[in-house]
Amino acid sequence: MNEFYNKDIISIKDYNKDQFEKIFDYTQKIMNLDPSSRREICKGKTLSYLFYEPSTRTRLSFESAMASIGGNSLGISDISSSSTQKGESLADTVKIMSIYSDILVLRHPLDGSSRFASEISTKPVINAGSGTEEHPTQAIQDLFTIKKEKKKIDGLKIGIIGDLKYGRTVYSLLSGLGNYDVNVHLISPESLRIRSDSIYEIRKKLSFTESTNLEDYIEDLDVIYVTRIQKERFPDEEEYLKVKGSYVIGLDLLKKMKDDAIILHPLPRLDEISNDIDKTKNAKYFQQAENGKHTRAALLGLILNENGF
Amino acid sequence: MQESELMVRRIKEGTVIDHIDEGKGLQVLGALQIDGRDGSLITIALNVPSGKFKKKDIIKVENKFLADDDTNKLAVIAPKASINIIKNYKLIEKRRVSLPNEIDRIFRCSNPDCITNSHEHIESVMDVMDKEGRVLKCRYCGRVLDVNQLKYN
Ligand SMILES: [Zn+2]
Repeated sequence: MNEFYNKDIISIKDYNKDQFEKIFDYTQKIMNLDPSSRREICKGKTLSYLFYEPSTRTRLSFESAMASIGGNSLGISDISSSSTQKGESLADTVKIMSIYSDILVLRHPLDGSSRFASEISTKPVINAGSGTEEHPTQAIQDLFTIKKEKKKIDGLKIGIIGDLKYGRTVYSLLSGLGNYDVNVHLISPESLRIRSDSIYEIRKKLSFTESTNLEDYIEDLDVIYVTRIQKERFPDEEEYLKVKGSYVIGLDLLKKMKDDAIILHPLPRLDEISNDIDKTKNAKYFQQAENGKHTRAALLGLILNENGF
Repeated sequence: MQESELMVRRIKEGTVIDHIDEGKGLQVLGALQIDGRDGSLITIALNVPSGKFKKKDIIKVENKFLADDDTNKLAVIAPKASINIIKNYKLIEKRRVSLPNEIDRIFRCSNPDCITNSHEHIESVMDVMDKEGRVLKCRYCGRVLDVNQLKYN
């Protein structure tokens, strides 16, 4: 039996390096399969999604992953048009959705919502983003991309740039990186620094520096992970404009980077990475999005097949 | 018999929770869900002199023998409490409270965005990470909680 069979994916903190490596192997296996054998993996299986906050991209990534392995998807992507708006509890909605499907994908604004849903659901639950800190499948996709592009994760210098306070992908990625021997540099505006109460455990596993100045580190970095800086996070527009420009990755900054540095972004981007970077060999964010589909397909295949695939 | 013990009637059968930190007596009752509705006699003494300059709270619950599972929940509220089981006016068992591996229901997670603080029908569960340092962690949101800032449900 494979260890992921019938299990939930709630928090990236529940996984270790061996498990990541196993998921990476299965992801590579999926990528190597021809489309018709790929479609046998979850043939006849149904995924249901339940999104309490909109994220078209994450939902579509799960849907396309499920389609690629022969399964289908149904669900609620806009909770405001559904019965939950009329006051149905999360517990009841989860119970119903687990009747309709073999696996449930949940996105919810509250911390711990996926753990709670997994206790209610009769089917495995995948956390597709909950609260402010957890987005495990995004972290797996990011780690896989780093591994695939750099052929290793240990020993790398990784810069994470932008809104580190509110970006839930950042916390999950840091937890995942805690399993590896890496040097992490966190670079953000002062007001968007990582929240110290949220990294109590990360601190024990990972050494990192914090800075406001990207240029101090840019020439050393192997991986440049850029996140979106959202205007609504700032108290006033002036402050936003002041900060915005200083973290834009453009061709001038690219010249200072290592030749083989890779640039990642969880997408969607605003203007943190200028469009002329897209065609350079360093830009790997679209690759990263594609990897997201394959890592999710691998996870679905592992959870839904007792003996793997 | 000490003066402090005389202040509260002796019981024939039941449990005496002694050496509760001053002012924590009512929280202890809440944590144990002791409300007297089952008709049993409950005596509560607050601010009982204990030693030269100190005070303590005492609770006596008649006809009820509290088990470890119940009383260990008190280790966070009243770490110095002692549990005395009385049968036929005699002390037959005396024990200290010690932190269990998990504590459910009695505390509220301090993270306002935690699902346990929502309208969902859900009770808080905290895992004890470090018994000596009294470090608790919310099982749902994963937040590490400061024992001194916990609020009671
Ligand atoms: Zn919590």
